[in-house]
Amino acid sequence: MREAFKKIQKSPAYSGLILFLAALLLYFALQFIQEPGAFFTIRTYRSFAGLFKNYAPLILVTMGQALLMLMGIIDISIGMQLSFANVLAVMLPEWTGMPIAAAWALTLCASVLLNTVNGLIVSYMRIPPLLAGYAMIYIVKGINLAIRSAPGGKVPAEINLFYDKMWGGVLPTSVIILTLCYLGWAFLARTPLMRHVYAVGGSERNAFATGIDSARTKVKMYALAGLLTGIGGLCYTAAYSTGNPITGEIYGLQSISACILGGISLAGGWGTMSCALFGIGFQVLIQTAVPRIFSMLPGNYNTYWHNLASDAIILIGLIGTIFAVRAQRTTLVAGLKKQIKGGGAKDER
Amino acid sequence: MKDKAAVSKLQVFFKSNQVGMALLISALLFALTVLLNPKSLNQIAIGSILSLTSMLLIASAGQTLVIISDGIDMSVGSTMSMTALITVAIMQGDGGMDRLFLSILAAIGVGLTVGFFNGVGTVKAGLPPMVVTLYISNIVGRLQYVFTGGTPEYTSVPKWFNQLVTTRQFGFFPHIVLLAVLFFVVVFFILSRTRYGQQLTLTGNNNRAAYLNGIRTSRIKMLNYTIAGVLAGLAGVIGAANSGYIQCGTYDAMSMQSIVAVVIGGTLLSGGKGSFTGTTAGALLFTILNNGLAVLQVSDSIRNLIMGIVLILLLAAYNRSKPVRQ
Repeated sequence: MREAFKKIQKSPAYSGLILFLAALLLYFALQFIQEPGAFFTIRTYRSFAGLFKNYAPLILVTMGQALLMLMGIIDISIGMQLSFANVLAVMLPEWTGMPIAAAWALTLCASVLLNTVNGLIVSYMRIPPLLAGYAMIYIVKGINLAIRSAPGGKVPAEINLFYDKMWGGVLPTSVIILTLCYLGWAFLARTPLMRHVYAVGGSERNAFATGIDSARTKVKMYALAGLLTGIGGLCYTAAYSTGNPITGEIYGLQSISACILGGISLAGGWGTMSCALFGIGFQVLIQTAVPRIFSMLPGNYNTYWHNLASDAIILIGLIGTIFAVRAQRTTLVAGLKKQIKGGGAKDER
Repeated sequence: MKDKAAVSKLQVFFKSNQVGMALLISALLFALTVLLNPKSLNQIAIGSILSLTSMLLIASAGQTLVIISDGIDMSVGSTMSMTALITVAIMQGDGGMDRLFLSILAAIGVGLTVGFFNGVGTVKAGLPPMVVTLYISNIVGRLQYVFTGGTPEYTSVPKWFNQLVTTRQFGFFPHIVLLAVLFFVVVFFILSRTRYGQQLTLTGNNNRAAYLNGIRTSRIKMLNYTIAGVLAGLAGVIGAANSGYIQCGTYDAMSMQSIVAVVIGGTLLSGGKGSFTGTTAGALLFTILNNGLAVLQVSDSIRNLIMGIVLILLLAAYNRSKPVRQ
């Protein structure tokens, strides 16, 4: 038992786990304080499950961003690509009259293709990812506006119902989708590709020297991130039943901060998918809990105060995580050095 | 023989003189705009280009310093918006020179605070500059909404201040260009003629080597972020005068735009190489591109597409990192 606990302590997701558990505690504590009578009924579970339904697109975008951040790449245009999948999924049936399933499959392929192009630009043209992402925001926004210039569009009601459905009265569809994606990651993490990803993230030059094709690895991960973003876009379409060409812009920043909160290092080569999930869980729970806290305080605070407070809490979480991650990395590196060099502590000086 | 020499001379120009190339591309783009829409060659258009370029240049002053020192400052836009709001709030639509002086002091104070926190987060705490400045930018942005409750009470500066900055001599030369020239002289002087500027460039180039050479890298970087904050604050005051309508977050877009202007102008994102002349050329190019697309009255979607593609082409031409093989 103690071994398992020590193992969790060493994993990159540790700080994210702590933050997430704290936020979870806060969320349920508030729920209890505000509705003590109804706490142990099904309503508490329903409202918690409702969070997954609304935030599944954001969670999927964060998972895609995590794949890229493991290599040390930040893609700020990932939110825009969610909107791309969204408007394409809404407009394709309207243009061609093809069945929904075919249209959505095509949307997924288009998402993967778009992000692959993004990956080619970053890895083969060697443009810094931040600037390439900024340019891609313009390009994808242009494509989105060409597909659908204003929010709107129709989505068949069955899709919405299917997405809202709770299987066995317990499991929302969104949770099933997220679990499947996470299982996909768990499978991927055991393949050589993931080892290459960590190597490229750690030090691209050294990875290249060992024979890893860093550019190809990057493009593959961009494609996978595109797949996750596409699924996220489809979830968005199902959840909100509308096509919105520019709404995804804020998802970019949120996904980046969520990944860092969970413990993925900006420099790359450190972190797991659980980091991203804990990070986005923390962020979402804080953003839902803060308005409730404010409603309990005396005086009138508008949404701007809520946003300021949640941003401040997230900033504090960020700083804490970055310090924790750095401490973990140094202990890991020191431990590795000791094993390679042998000998006692005096060799470290 | 003569052809070969001419071609290789051109190649050398293309590869090494990024500033010259940026100016050349600006001229070409402008010529293209005029070709496609002859009506756009008039005094008002040229005046707008000069005005927007000057505004972007003033905003990019601090950003140039920060990027040269191997950092990045995503809070330029928010600081500008904040100080613009403060200027408008202090001058209250009818203030005089004393109120202006007060707002300049307030802007310097705000810029100093933001820059200080940026520096502490980046240098003392060792956090990645992008994350720190991004979140501080977020908080400064939120603070604007909290202070004004979403809708500011005053939204424009007194007429005399507005006219001071926006009047166009001979119909096309706005006064703001003079302010931009002032900024240019100051920053150029700092970068190339002072020891601080030299040490800054060395620190950005190779932090460890600079440290080993006796340069106090952390102190220089802290000072740098603070100066950048002050410059952004002053830019906000000028922005308040330049614009007819200030609200929360008016200048937020300037963060990324200043980064693009600096980068197109030849400064490497990884620091160590760059100049303010380059930023000037970059700001001009970006403004002409943006303006040209607006003037040509293309649809929103095509405008965004062309903007993105041209940016990628420019970045691919000049900002490629070294290949892993080297």
